[in-house]
Amino acid sequence: MPSRIDLAVNLGGLAMANPVTVCSGTFASGREYSDFYNLSLLGAVTTKGVSLEPWAGNATPRIAETASGMLNSIGLQNPGVEVFCSKDLPWLSQQGVPIIVNVSGHSVDEYRAVVERLEREPSVGAYEINISCPNVDHGGMTIGTDPVLAAQVTAACRQATKRPLIVKLTPNVTSVASIAQAVEAEGADAISLINTVLGMSIDAKRRKPRLARVVGGLSGPAIKPIALRMVWEVHKAVQVPILGMGGIMTGEDAVEFMLAGATAIAVGTASFVNPVAPIQVLAGIIGYCEEQGVTDINELIGGLVC
Amino acid sequence: MSMGKLFERCSVLENEAVAQDVYSITLTSPMVAAALEPGQFVHLHLNNNDSEILRLPFSVYDVVPELGAIVILYQVLGNGTRHMTRLQMGDICDVIGPIGRGWFPPKNCSRALLVGGGLGTAPLYLLAKQLKDQGAIVDVVMGAGCSSRVICRDTMAAFDSLHIATDDGSEGFKGFCTSLSKDLLALNDYDYVATCGPEPMQRIVAAQCKDAGVPCQVSMERLMACGVGACLSCVLKTTAGLKRCCVDGPVFDAMEVIWDAK
Repeated sequence: MPSRIDLAVNLGGLAMANPVTVCSGTFASGREYSDFYNLSLLGAVTTKGVSLEPWAGNATPRIAETASGMLNSIGLQNPGVEVFCSKDLPWLSQQGVPIIVNVSGHSVDEYRAVVERLEREPSVGAYEINISCPNVDHGGMTIGTDPVLAAQVTAACRQATKRPLIVKLTPNVTSVASIAQAVEAEGADAISLINTVLGMSIDAKRRKPRLARVVGGLSGPAIKPIALRMVWEVHKAVQVPILGMGGIMTGEDAVEFMLAGATAIAVGTASFVNPVAPIQVLAGIIGYCEEQGVTDINELIGGLVC
Repeated sequence: MSMGKLFERCSVLENEAVAQDVYSITLTSPMVAAALEPGQFVHLHLNNNDSEILRLPFSVYDVVPELGAIVILYQVLGNGTRHMTRLQMGDICDVIGPIGRGWFPPKNCSRALLVGGGLGTAPLYLLAKQLKDQGAIVDVVMGAGCSSRVICRDTMAAFDSLHIATDDGSEGFKGFCTSLSKDLLALNDYDYVATCGPEPMQRIVAAQCKDAGVPCQVSMERLMACGVGACLSCVLKTTAGLKRCCVDGPVFDAMEVIWDAK
């Protein structure tokens, strides 16, 4: 079906043919899902978190199913930026889709070093700075819950690149708007949210936690109301565009995020349920626009009537 | 690994109890049925309810080429599998498959020992048929808690010998199936052992094979989300680092596995 709707959006300098990308960590570097659809149908691919050195991640069990969602404590297992550049990026750069590389680190210097290394790769379209992973002891959420540290990491990455810089925030804070303002002030071009919500699950019969790490990050439809609320709060607090995510399963879910203020959206846990979920979400967005007479997707951004 | 994973809608042909808490479901899935190799698995979506959203991974017990169907033996362990028992002919679900690396027996295998514990017997049946077709002698050992939980009794009887152990002695040898595998490894010359079942059992079989100098393959399981290699939930410690049970396995060379200390 040829679409007469203008679906293109601009996420802080990253031109996307449509507003749909995937959540970091749910999609590896895309190869695993290329059996199911052509990745060029997506507005962008967001990669698994990449760190300076290889990270082993956490012990198993790393997941637990919960009501309308799941907990994970993967712990950013990845082979490091050099292997990413030699093995994953060459393949992904042939897929005809913008690439957002998710950047992880233990310290300000590590985040900057990863960005500096990736600057040598022409296929990288944007960075998503992960200061929000709840599953590592240093870096990740320990930075994203502190406005000063969040600003420092953003500033360091900003110095290292002119490419679009997206900073991914955690919901595990009292005021997500103040963190968003702190990273915007240091040059973030866009803000993505939310990362997972810290939670836990217990096996009562064994009197043991279901995750080896005890606590983990909650994702899936269970967190959608939290994510919508935070996108809406951040949209009111900053000027930069928002990449919204958290429990999006359908096109209508995605539209809700755009109405709350998101310029683009990411599909995560839904891909585990349905490997073609991101494409069905896109089809659902188009269907909504046709039904509602929307001719430019940008009309939806922040279009909530309160 | 060599070919892509398929994603297809399937409908239930048959779903019936075959042992205590164990059911057999037959699903039309012509593309997966045609492509599947012994030891590979499928990832099912049951459209159960909005609360339990993740797919369920199952090994494939048998394929029925003339129906384009796969047969899965499953144990009722939670809400998802309980719901599954209520599926009826014509009900629809969807399947990703075939997934992972299946059994990779040596070429010209002359005598094989297959050791299944509980539901772990299921993914050994297609392997047994394949080995038999290739001219190998196939001995089968199966363990279960009690006679009412023994599965595949009739189908596995088609091979060269079948040895059953139950924990309570209600059928066959009283004790663990690993006692039977130990005796058979001492008695016969095997050039291949394949095992699937509870991890402590597989670990014992692997150790017996190491002592006997027989190559052994194990089928490993970890909680998984995506089932396609992306999420890194189901990683296993191996001598070559962390590997994904879903797509790097589920079958591994036993010598490669670093067993949990627990």
